[in-house]
Amino acid sequence: MTLIQVIVNSIIRASELALLALGLTIVYDILKFANFAHTELAMVGAYIAFIFNVGLGLPIAVAAIIAAIATGLFSILIDRAVFKKMRESTGIIVMVTSMGVGIALRNTVRAIWGPDAQNYAVPLQKPIVTAWFRITPLQVWIIVIGVLAMVAFYLLLHYTTLGKAMRATSDDPALAQASGIATEKIITYVWFIAISFASLGGVLIGMETYIQPVMGFAIIIPVFCAAIMGGIGNPYGAMLGALALGLAENFGLYINFGKVLNLGGLLPFSKDFYIPTGYKPAISFIILIVVLLVRPRGILGKKKEG
Amino acid sequence: MAFVNFLVYLAIMMGIYGILSLSLNLQYGFTGLANFGQVGFFCLGAYITTIITLTFGLPFILGLIISMVVAGLFGYVIAIPTADLKEDYWAIVTLASAEIVRMFFLNEDWVVGGGVYRGGAFGVGGIPQPLKSYFSAQSYPFFYFIIVLICLIATYLIINKLTRSPYGIVLKSIREGEDRLAQAMGKDVKRFRLKTMAVGGMFGGLAGCLWAHYYGFISPRQFLPLETFIVWAMVIVGGKGNNKGAILGAVIIIIFYHSTRYLKDYIPVEEVTLASLRMVAIGILIVLVMLFMKEGIIKEKKPVY
Repeated sequence: MTLIQVIVNSIIRASELALLALGLTIVYDILKFANFAHTELAMVGAYIAFIFNVGLGLPIAVAAIIAAIATGLFSILIDRAVFKKMRESTGIIVMVTSMGVGIALRNTVRAIWGPDAQNYAVPLQKPIVTAWFRITPLQVWIIVIGVLAMVAFYLLLHYTTLGKAMRATSDDPALAQASGIATEKIITYVWFIAISFASLGGVLIGMETYIQPVMGFAIIIPVFCAAIMGGIGNPYGAMLGALALGLAENFGLYINFGKVLNLGGLLPFSKDFYIPTGYKPAISFIILIVVLLVRPRGILGKKKEG
Repeated sequence: MAFVNFLVYLAIMMGIYGILSLSLNLQYGFTGLANFGQVGFFCLGAYITTIITLTFGLPFILGLIISMVVAGLFGYVIAIPTADLKEDYWAIVTLASAEIVRMFFLNEDWVVGGGVYRGGAFGVGGIPQPLKSYFSAQSYPFFYFIIVLICLIATYLIINKLTRSPYGIVLKSIREGEDRLAQAMGKDVKRFRLKTMAVGGMFGGLAGCLWAHYYGFISPRQFLPLETFIVWAMVIVGGKGNNKGAILGAVIIIIFYHSTRYLKDYIPVEEVTLASLRMVAIGILIVLVMLFMKEGIIKEKKPVY
């Protein structure tokens, strides 16, 4: 594998992670709790797209958009039924509740569709092969959608009244409310945006690999890691964290640590050592630990909180 | 007889999960530490005792002690990066740690001696059962239940003593976010958190050890993160911050969990669907208790001044 291929793979992974980490971090920013149901909602989105794509025969792009809207609305419903009643509770109570919601969601999907992996009705794609790397059209789309979503979010946050209100609510909910911002309305929008993005991420991951009830749980650690690495509550941090994690996961398996240990052949011993692929999920965890030890507030840490 | 055997099985499960629940209650209920990786200690205890008793052929009691020590140390170590941080960080780091433990035993089959179709994803069987030769196959579970019961009572007494001591009061002040109060009393909050994770981890390891010797077979598949959340349901339903509640929670959830196994005889659902529905119920139960009965069944005793 060439170096450029590793970088391309990293960017693909980062685009998927960014879609998920962004939503996690903005919900945290406004509601002050770590939503352990976040990636499960992405999985629900992937299955809703499955209904429309495989069940009803719609093209995957249409199915993905319907799923993003439906899952976004569904998250508002969950908020009304559960989280809204807990606005005054401490973070840990809401977090544990979100974990309960996540378990219920994952197993509902598992009860309906079974535990096995399934595929969208998408034809197998011929990769585009260049001298340095190969990439499938789908992967190009993943990157494009990831970048577009990030740009859209930036524009939303800085050039719309809603974005301004969101930032105000994030900084000081009481003050925002006193200034005439309907914080409950903002919360509704935040859920919708966060979970639609997550759903889109879920569909993209499902298209690149397959969909499975455990797919949400399988990405919870990298997604949290990306959000924490960038400084939880900071949307740009989440994007940066996703990129850093994408690079780390791919380079972690690419680098010959044997060469690193003997300083590229300077020292008189040589033994190839690569991180076994079975430990790929551990890479994000190791990085998480290092970040927490060195910079607990993340690369772009936010001022308050600790 | 089959029914009696089933009851003994249930009682042993209640005992083992009771220990897990007491351990989590010490961490979450009393100290406010969101340990989302309880299954990691459970897994570690099970594997360590298997290595000690099966690979090295040492006696059960050594397996028990060493698995507790290793799990305790593990708890201490994984708490270091998050000791100063908020609960969200605890949750994700403990969750990830438990996954690392499982991943380790999934990938490294040599730790249990290796061999064809042995270790790793295949699991490992033939774990010796203590004093098995003195009992018939029929009476052994009764004896094993007594071992579990002794461990459960010991765990209860130790944790109860701990939480009622001045140590426990410091833990509660940490939970209530009164770090400064604890610090003003000259208590090093960080060290208290580390110690609590270590003590809780020890008992998690004990439960794992008891599990391994009861089943005689362990595999990474038994230690999925789902187990952690079953234990969480026990603590939450029974009543956090109350040791009797933690045991009651274990009893209730175990009865619920195992009684629903027989539903498939009455309604036409497949086993795998039933297993999913059972977890849906556990998830919803956690949400409902958190919404409407935050204190659980047995409320925490709040001191009256």
